[in-house]
Amino acid sequence: MSSTGKTTPDAATPPPLETLGLVVAYEDDPPLLENLSFRAEAGEILGILGPSGCGKSSLLRRLVGLEIPRAGEVKLFGEEIFASPAALARARQKFGIMYQSGALFGDLNLLANVSLPLVEFSSMPPAAIEASATLKLDLVGLRGFERHLPSAISGGMRKRAAIARALALEPKLMFLDEPSAGLDPITAGDLDELIVTLARNLEITFVVITHELRSIHRIVDRAILLDRGARGIAAEGTPQFLALESPSPAAKAFFLRDA
Amino acid sequence: MARPKGYFTIAGPDREGLVRLAGTLNALTAPRRLLPPKLLKKAPPNLHADLSGLASLDLNGATYLLTLRESLRAQGFTLVYLGLPPRLIPIWNLAKENLLGEPSAPPPAPLGFFASVGKGLFAFAGDLRDQVSFLGEIISHLGGLILRPWTGRWGSVLNVANGSVVDALPVTCLVAFLVGLILAFQSAMLMQGFGVDIFVADLVGISIIRELGTLLTAIVLTGRSGSAFSSELASMKSNAEIDAFVTMGLSPGRDLALPRILALTLATPALTVLADLAGLLGGNLVMMSIGHPFRVFWDELALHVDLSDMATGLFKSLVFGFTVGVIGCQRGLYAAHGPSAVGEATTRGVVTNILAIAILDSLFAVLFYVLNW
Repeated sequence: MSSTGKTTPDAATPPPLETLGLVVAYEDDPPLLENLSFRAEAGEILGILGPSGCGKSSLLRRLVGLEIPRAGEVKLFGEEIFASPAALARARQKFGIMYQSGALFGDLNLLANVSLPLVEFSSMPPAAIEASATLKLDLVGLRGFERHLPSAISGGMRKRAAIARALALEPKLMFLDEPSAGLDPITAGDLDELIVTLARNLEITFVVITHELRSIHRIVDRAILLDRGARGIAAEGTPQFLALESPSPAAKAFFLRDA
Repeated sequence: MARPKGYFTIAGPDREGLVRLAGTLNALTAPRRLLPPKLLKKAPPNLHADLSGLASLDLNGATYLLTLRESLRAQGFTLVYLGLPPRLIPIWNLAKENLLGEPSAPPPAPLGFFASVGKGLFAFAGDLRDQVSFLGEIISHLGGLILRPWTGRWGSVLNVANGSVVDALPVTCLVAFLVGLILAFQSAMLMQGFGVDIFVADLVGISIIRELGTLLTAIVLTGRSGSAFSSELASMKSNAEIDAFVTMGLSPGRDLALPRILALTLATPALTVLADLAGLLGGNLVMMSIGHPFRVFWDELALHVDLSDMATGLFKSLVFGFTVGVIGCQRGLYAAHGPSAVGEATTRGVVTNILAIAILDSLFAVLFYVLNW
């Protein structure tokens, strides 16, 4: 961390995201993931990788508190989110999330979509909220589209607008679910660039769920690879390490499948 | 609201117009008013804000301070920011660039009175044209089906009839039974005073068989089946399933709408007969409760209710079944795209159907009167 302000004493600051012995399971089925412990350090882009069906999205739903894990803890900035309803409510203001489909509100234009969290949780005056929401749209390259409805823009633009909405309260932690899925290589590349820019300029920690190899190599600092057989983390490290040096057969299968 | 380790303090303005800001300024800590009007009244026109106490500032906070300066300028104050900690300068500049950038497009101006009336009229006319053209399409498919009955999707006709009509039997009969009961009870109260309570049987019988049984069945089917058609087809449309249908060379009108419409048209009269029976039983129950034996009700009916009453009721139910099916399917297939389209199509389908049933029923009343049926 470059900032040396007294509010961020590095040693004592808990990581933005930490899980301890997390068990991800549905109903009475055998668990998808067991005893999962990992952390995302401040300012890094952590990739959660794995083939379809390995439990990436199920894991995400527990990390953001949409579903309660069967066992284990999820800590955001050091606070266990399932400790109490109040803790969960507090946790929800500490992160932003971009869903795979964008999940923009279809009846609201882009400006209103991005303003919504500010209108709900901030007491800033309307002029400041509008200026701030416009700024977020500008950051993701959507200036001039403030009054467009989500249905009137392309899929890539919707994902960028969803990132702008996730940025509304300027959380220091963002979850992205499959940011480049369903996009053409150029749009996906632009989106990757945007993510890296945001991470570096605004010092945001990103947790990115993805299985797009190109995107992984472009943006991810460190990754954990989930595997169905292992029911947990099969391998961990930088994308280069996972692709070239990791002894894990799951990593070889994942990174070399189309080589 | 919980503000985890976030605090923001304002001191001043003092006599020289100096305001000291300190702490963490972000969307959650920013106050609605930095300087309440009461304080501004006493303040000199040249204000200075000392930012050196800010521990952290994000884009929301910087935008907040910048828009605040603009709004103070509009009130005749100048505000100068001083002493921004160097590490916050990049954020400050990023926010400033945005505010200096070209203003975003203004929202489209609302339509004037005449323009909105005109737009509404055009939408109404377009809607009417859609309904007529859909009706024409269905009638032509129906013609094709009559010429070549073996091409029909009779399996799905039976399925729909089962799902939307047979399953509607309990609720329709219950409603009809209760309406028959209420009708008989209310009129019996009055007629007993004149000693003509025997005619309650005729009143209930003719009302139920000619009007109410038919009407109630149609309205229950509107709410239960017509709305289901609208929402099914509208969600198929928004999932591009209708497009897939068309590109496969199938016709949504012939293959999706016609079976539903046929099922409803053919099964509604059957349902109406049962609803009539339930309504009459309701009436009979009241008659028995005021001292008439079970048979009296039916003997009285046989004297005064003839086959033409039965026929008018059933003919209307045939037409209502067709109408509910056509309008339900039309609203679904002509739904707009977007998240609210399914709900909107369903609502519009139900409203149009109830309106159409009321209008058709009035027309039938006049027609049967003129024809003396």
